[in-house]
Amino acid sequence: MTAPLPKRIIKETERLQSEPVPGISAQPHDDNARYFDVMVEGPGGSCYEDGEFKLELFLPDDYPMCPPRIRFLTRIYHPNIDRLGRICLDVLKNNWSPALQIRTILLSIQALLGAPNPEDPLNEAVAKQWKENQPEAIRTAREWTRLYAKKG
Amino acid sequence: MKFGHEYEQALASEGFPEQWLGSAIDYKYLKKCIKKVHRELEGLGLDKETIHRLSEPLSQPENARRPSIGQHDFYSAEKPHLDSIPEEFTPQLRVLVDSATGVPLDAMLAPATRARLQKLAQSELIAARRQAHLGHHATHEIHEPATMELTKERTNSLTPDAQDAKWITIPLASAKAFFDLLGPKLEELERLREAETGKLELEIADLGAAVENVVEPVKDGFEAKRQVSYRDLYYWREMFRLYLENPIFYSNLEQNAGALTFSEAKSRLEAYDQQLRSTGLLAKMKTPAAKQAAKQFLDLNVDILKIIRFQEMNARAMSKILKKFDKRTHLEGHQFLMDLRTKYPALLPSQPVPGQKPTGGTVGFANSIARDLHAEITSKVLGIVPQIDDWTCPVCYSMAWRPVSLGCCRSLYCIRCIIKLQDDGHARCPTCNADTVTKADGRNIDFEAMDFLEKYFPLETKRRQKENEKADLARSYGEEFVKPGCEVM
Repeated sequence: MTAPLPKRIIKETERLQSEPVPGISAQPHDDNARYFDVMVEGPGGSCYEDGEFKLELFLPDDYPMCPPRIRFLTRIYHPNIDRLGRICLDVLKNNWSPALQIRTILLSIQALLGAPNPEDPLNEAVAKQWKENQPEAIRTAREWTRLYAKKG
Repeated sequence: MKFGHEYEQALASEGFPEQWLGSAIDYKYLKKCIKKVHRELEGLGLDKETIHRLSEPLSQPENARRPSIGQHDFYSAEKPHLDSIPEEFTPQLRVLVDSATGVPLDAMLAPATRARLQKLAQSELIAARRQAHLGHHATHEIHEPATMELTKERTNSLTPDAQDAKWITIPLASAKAFFDLLGPKLEELERLREAETGKLELEIADLGAAVENVVEPVKDGFEAKRQVSYRDLYYWREMFRLYLENPIFYSNLEQNAGALTFSEAKSRLEAYDQQLRSTGLLAKMKTPAAKQAAKQFLDLNVDILKIIRFQEMNARAMSKILKKFDKRTHLEGHQFLMDLRTKYPALLPSQPVPGQKPTGGTVGFANSIARDLHAEITSKVLGIVPQIDDWTCPVCYSMAWRPVSLGCCRSLYCIRCIIKLQDDGHARCPTCNADTVTKADGRNIDFEAMDFLEKYFPLETKRRQKENEKADLARSYGEEFVKPGCEVM
């Protein structure tokens, strides 16, 4: 990409730094302003509480006409997130709107951690466990959070 | 002692108007009053320890208002405590006594205290009986200091000791003097708040008119004026943008919303002043009228700061003196403050909820002054100069030009962003999700908004127009969009 960075991306980045969302951070790479290192804290009260999840976020050339591409880097046990960290979330697909932003998308992801939806699974095995033995699934999610998403 | 001194000095040295000082809380004198209350209580045989042992903090204001008949209340009221009467706060002790002998029904009392209270109670019982003969004027005597009063008579079958229990109240004359002094002060402070807020609101309206006069771009038939104020418009915008970015009296930030304390506000105002100096905004203003209005704006902020300081200091003095009162007398003086909150709604948001971390916000009337005047300034002065952030397109974050309204919601988009959405097959409004994008055409251009943006953002309009033209030519979208909007320049 040789084209200058669109004003929209510059503004979004500025605001992410100046008014960060509690529990969420997004830092652009020095050599590629469209590539962000993201950290999302597991929401309080969920089985991901006290976890710190790393994600990568990329803004394609036609952003904001198309959604950012986001993937979990930290392993996570969640029915809507597959083993490669890909996320099943409507606003990242068909329900994307150019009026959404990095900020709102990351908040949606954080909310997804608080409300797993096994009816619309991306990870069949996890979703199956979630539906058949929820306490066990939640225990596993807690365990994984402790193992892979430890703070610090 | 330290605070009292500090308070007096601050009052004397900070250049408050004479009539404000008259309304200030007389901390020193109130302290003397507390001493008197202390002495009076000791005279009753109720030294600090006794009261401490007997008094039970009143958690619910309702309890204080009216002794209810509940079982629980019987026990709590067995101990003397400060009672209040709804309309007029009259400090008094309520003690449960045997109706025949006047012996206080509390085993914890020291013999001397018991005897003293009994004597008081007996004389009161006689007086009450006499009054019962004369008619039922008992309730009117409640506020009379130095008389005792029978407020309630009842028996409690569950406790044999209390079969003939009667409530007697002992008005505390010296405590009454204390609150009689404090009460009107609060009223004065409230009047002062009202008067000063009113005065400042007028000033704000005045300033609003002045600002409008110097920034209003393009006045019909005054082309020359345009040349001057057109630059000033941008200076004012920047000046107000800085102000909005870091509000001086009231914070809108999620983390710590609410009124700021005097010291926070002061340092913010100083920082703002510094910013204006370093950017040279004031010096750049072209017309003398604009310079004058800018000075007026800063002066107004200083005035607001001053009244906030005054009210905040008084609120602190009030809370300190009441704390002292409670500490020295072990009576529930804070009850007084609670009663007043319902009387003066402006005081309301001050006290942090117990158990919650205090937000560090300002206290007393200063709070509502900060909030009200911040709102006034925002709407009547800052609102005159529109900020670019309120006119940006939700898709590209640049000024929406040319502005297109899809008719489904109030969002304004750039015409080019809508065309792009159409090209990409987005059918729905990015903001409200209505199915309006496909149907949009030249008729959706919002001409009213266009005139407005042209008038208030001439530089941005010019730049955006050029960008649009370039992009349009490059993509050659069609006749109506390629046509440059010359009339705009």
